[in-house]
Amino acid sequence: MSTLDERGDERGSTSSPVLELDEIQATVLRYRPEPYYGTHVLMRVDDAQTGREFLRRLTPHINSAAGWWNAVDAWLAVGISYAGLKALGLPEESLQSFPEAFRAGMAARAEQLRDVGVNASSNWDFPFGTGQVHIGVTAFSDTAAKWRRTVAVAREQAIGFSGVTIIHMQDFGAQPGSLNPFGYKDGIGQPAIAGSGVAPLPGQGQPIKAGEFILGYPGEADLPYPTPQPDVLGRNGTYVGFRKYQSRVGTFNRFLQENASTHEERELLAAKLVGRWRSGAPLTLAPHADDPSLGEDPQRNNDFNYSTDAQGRQVPFGCHMRRMNPRDSQLAQLTDVNLHRIIRRSTTYGAPYDPNALSEEDDEVPRGVFFLFISAKAMATLEFLQGEWINDGNFAGVGDERDPMVGLQPDGATFSIPQAPVRRRIHGIETFNVLRGGEYLFMPSLSALRWIAELS
Amino acid sequence: MATTNVPPQLDKLPPELKEKIQELRKLYAEGSEVGQRALDKLLGQLAAPRTDKPVAEITTAGRTGLRQGKVSELTVIAPFAPGGAKRLRALLKLLGANFGDAGEKVGTVHDMRFVFFDNDTRMLFATAYDGDWDPYIDDFVAKIPAELDLVFSTTENFPGLNTPGIKDWIAKFQITAEAWYVANPDLTVAETKRLERVGKALDEFLDKIG
Repeated sequence: MSTLDERGDERGSTSSPVLELDEIQATVLRYRPEPYYGTHVLMRVDDAQTGREFLRRLTPHINSAAGWWNAVDAWLAVGISYAGLKALGLPEESLQSFPEAFRAGMAARAEQLRDVGVNASSNWDFPFGTGQVHIGVTAFSDTAAKWRRTVAVAREQAIGFSGVTIIHMQDFGAQPGSLNPFGYKDGIGQPAIAGSGVAPLPGQGQPIKAGEFILGYPGEADLPYPTPQPDVLGRNGTYVGFRKYQSRVGTFNRFLQENASTHEERELLAAKLVGRWRSGAPLTLAPHADDPSLGEDPQRNNDFNYSTDAQGRQVPFGCHMRRMNPRDSQLAQLTDVNLHRIIRRSTTYGAPYDPNALSEEDDEVPRGVFFLFISAKAMATLEFLQGEWINDGNFAGVGDERDPMVGLQPDGATFSIPQAPVRRRIHGIETFNVLRGGEYLFMPSLSALRWIAELS
Repeated sequence: MATTNVPPQLDKLPPELKEKIQELRKLYAEGSEVGQRALDKLLGQLAAPRTDKPVAEITTAGRTGLRQGKVSELTVIAPFAPGGAKRLRALLKLLGANFGDAGEKVGTVHDMRFVFFDNDTRMLFATAYDGDWDPYIDDFVAKIPAELDLVFSTTENFPGLNTPGIKDWIAKFQITAEAWYVANPDLTVAETKRLERVGKALDEFLDKIG
């Protein structure tokens, strides 16, 4: 293992610690494959002892991040909610060492997360927000065959355990072209993590200190974030914000139809909402027309900053991509952009994007995204993102406007597109992705999983 | 001198308001006559129903302080370290009216004031700013740690900004205002600047066509 942070550290730390990759779960560092296939399995622990026995049997099948850039087989990841840690019989002292927001759970943090109105937990699908989601297991694979084999392994571990109940299973992926429910290539633009062993992709920027994403290492302020105790439980673990969105494809298509008159104009408007064409090509590098070969090239599709787009005429200030990573944009508020980055593993489920869907019924065709937001302070980061960067516009100088893709739009919401001679402001943008569930999970290290399994 | 008889104009008031006014009269009766006379004069006005435009609701700004619309208030009263007042005074003199470019840098600060009192042993710092400061404290720590340490090291036992639990340390000295008025609760600093630019551009345009 070596750190490839060869440019050295401008922030004055002496050295980047090398990560203990064989302790960290693979999913933290490993990008979603392409194409991808997978399943989320949610479980309830009814009996502490059987629950721990289940974990003991599952742990050897959980992949570590050692050689994470070289996935040869499908891999499993496991996360445990606070209710789950309780159900597994963790000592009170350990339980109390978890952050307050994690202990409260995502549904209880609705106010801080701005999960209100249609996104309120009273509208969520079962089993989210009920306190019954204890363990989440996710299988990722690049082929259908390997995926089926791996899911079978996960199921076998749960079979015969009367104390562990599978309460929800959701397949994802297998989308034509690996596109998201609105027909875009997604998952581009992940933060680079210092010490993780692989050179950053062009445009990923200075690697961010590992402590922002993995517990037990120094973060950007050179301090580690508070770690659950004992050390073996917390170290090399991280948190996952797990969120289920229903994509309202009919509403989205209608928005494009009503605000653009030709196919080309609609595609440009779709690109302005995200900051990228559906192919993934960024507007900064392809301002006038889509460039699919640019979109699919990871060496080029993220290699830009906003130094030549200070007016937002290519990438609007309020679009999804510029909000989620403002890069070198001049922000209205003193901000360290690196503190608010998060690892995203988005997994699309349900029917593929249908460009002809226009009705309200189409909005409710099961289709959407399960997001895994991974960070050593995922709760604080999600609350920051939801409150400041998604459901507000002040930081970007766009007033009350919200993120067009994942924001919760109030009545009469607008979306502004800077252009010469005068900006275009579109009225009546609606909520395109509706929240249908969410949980905070702790993603323990492999040693921590064994430690939990061996509790008595 | 206590005026215990209820003036006739109070009779028609809703009971809740009537009670508040009676309580107020009782309290002022314990004070000076100047206050009592002033209260009697204003009684009709105080008891009149509010007809002006609805003001933004007053809520809390994070864990301490009030928030009105998009603007929040923060008041800190802290004891100076020995010699701290002298150091801070000299620093503020050097920085001048803009506090260097502190406000410009932070971007969300409407105003800031430092008041030294109790014979230079304590200071009051008060500011109005946009949103909540809690979500941004880590950004301050990362972006302007030396600037903040320079100011707050003049207070007693300041541990340094880059200390775990610094949020709690600051919150300890924060006092929520009893009452607070904001003229434009929906205008952030960024929005005000934008409107300034828009206003100027509109004037230029009107000049051209006028």
